[in-house]
Amino acid sequence: MARTAAILGALGRALRRDQKSIAAVVGNNFFIVTALVLQEAGAFLYLILGLILLFTLSTDPLRKIPVSRLGLWPLERSERWILRAASPWVNPVTWLIGGSAVWVVRGKVTVGLWGLCGGLIAASFILSALPLGPRGNLWRRMPRFPEPLNHLIRKDLREMLSTLDFYVALLLSLAALAYRVWGPPLPQEALMPVTLLVVVALSSYAQCLFGLDGESGLERYRLLPVSGWQVLLAKDAAFLALAILVALPLAPMAGLGAALVALAVGHHATVHHQREQIRWRFSAGAPVIEGLVQCALIATAGASVGHSAWMMGPCVLAWAGSVWWYGRQWDATDHSGGSYAILP
Amino acid sequence: MCRNLTRRFGEFTAVDGLSFHVAPGAICAFLGPNGAGKSTTVKMLTGLLAPTAGEIEVCGLDPRTNPIELKRRIGVLPEDLGLFDDLTVEEHLQLTASVYGVGKQEAKDRIAQLLRALSLEHGRRTFASACSHGMRKKTSFAMALLPNPRVLFLDEPFEAIDPVTSKIMRDLLQSASRRGITVFLTSHILPVAEEIATQLIMIRKGKIVWDSPASELPQALEQHYFDLVESPVVEELEWLGPPRS
Repeated sequence: MARTAAILGALGRALRRDQKSIAAVVGNNFFIVTALVLQEAGAFLYLILGLILLFTLSTDPLRKIPVSRLGLWPLERSERWILRAASPWVNPVTWLIGGSAVWVVRGKVTVGLWGLCGGLIAASFILSALPLGPRGNLWRRMPRFPEPLNHLIRKDLREMLSTLDFYVALLLSLAALAYRVWGPPLPQEALMPVTLLVVVALSSYAQCLFGLDGESGLERYRLLPVSGWQVLLAKDAAFLALAILVALPLAPMAGLGAALVALAVGHHATVHHQREQIRWRFSAGAPVIEGLVQCALIATAGASVGHSAWMMGPCVLAWAGSVWWYGRQWDATDHSGGSYAILP
Repeated sequence: MCRNLTRRFGEFTAVDGLSFHVAPGAICAFLGPNGAGKSTTVKMLTGLLAPTAGEIEVCGLDPRTNPIELKRRIGVLPEDLGLFDDLTVEEHLQLTASVYGVGKQEAKDRIAQLLRALSLEHGRRTFASACSHGMRKKTSFAMALLPNPRVLFLDEPFEAIDPVTSKIMRDLLQSASRRGITVFLTSHILPVAEEIATQLIMIRKGKIVWDSPASELPQALEQHYFDLVESPVVEELEWLGPPRS
């Protein structure tokens, strides 16, 4: 028991120092927007997304211990079970999300639904222990893109597919598609809010496009004889490919315009405030204010393009200008505290 | 190659006024203990890090004014290998070939040969995140060599490498050197450095303490290193128990 307590104590210290789990909640556009727009009506959304997906997949403290180290420690089977059951409770995020969810849905959720949630949490813990990662055949089967950026785009697609942001956007998109197919006829304007919500769900990732490359990948980017705008172009191509995919059953043109603007705004944080991300978590992007500005511009761009296709022009121009400008910024920064002068 | 090269991180001076020249086709071993400034120097020479002061010239180019052109002419095995978790071994090499403008058929041939020579064929479709450290190092080494660079910068290339691959890598480097490619490598494995280097530079606390052709070394490299850089101090760990007779 003393050994388990020592490990839990160390885990608690590590979690208090690592604010990424909390940042993943407060720095994600989708959560900010749903909290502001849906308020109490979003109770079930918080319960399902927050408690089940975030709570289990994003903040499992045992993931902080390398598997090999955990396996080498001389722990009894019962001690490992105690560790498994007790570790979530040393995480401040557990209390934050769990407490908020319970408070929001107080009196509105039946015992049966709580039971379902409990079952899903247990299943998620078991699933999250499986070695998910870029190893399966699906990961190899990426479409081909023009050279010389083909492999960079394929890599960027794989990275984006290993964030929870994309799957939330996909769920929303599929739910809307199912409603369109089997539900009563929807007016075209009704698709706009869902399209914007789908792009908002992806938009935090647009603020941290290098988040899954790691130090090693960033170093390779610096060594490759490619300009900053090409690096951003490859990142953006992957983002736009997936944004178009999820916007396709909704309002694709508006979705594309909104996605271009999400990238145009997100490049600033991507280049200047690089934040490391963790696979199978929600992306934690820029500070809340920057996220809100991005969401407001996404909504404006999407609504404008939905109203007139000509508004796609300014969206493309804003995006292209951003790629050019922040490409130069990327070239001029050595990412180590020093900075090269911007080249003529 | 570099003059008065200096890099400071706040108050700490990692590299302090280094000046040296490496001739084309030489194999220069850059030696020193952990934290001496070797990797910082390599990063500055390859354009990854801006120097605080001093001048650099690699292949006749300054990394600050011609970064892209310089990157086209050099091959680098960086300290943390510079690999993407989401690309396979083979995809890393294909990416290198296309970014450096190697023709399709030529790239295919070079990749096949490098995979074979470095015993990477069986793991060609393995993602970098799932590779052993040795495989990752070999992949990064192959990426450095593939575009046929004028200068190779290798940061600790022989660590975590099996003896056979180490021998193959040494032979490849000597072969590259005979073809006029300059090799600049850091290493802690002194016997390997002694075997292949034609020039030896030793660095201690950011300053050069020795720079000469390998043939002018006054004594065995290991002893010379201990004399100039640092000598080992062995402590008895009494709590391991008494020695057995």
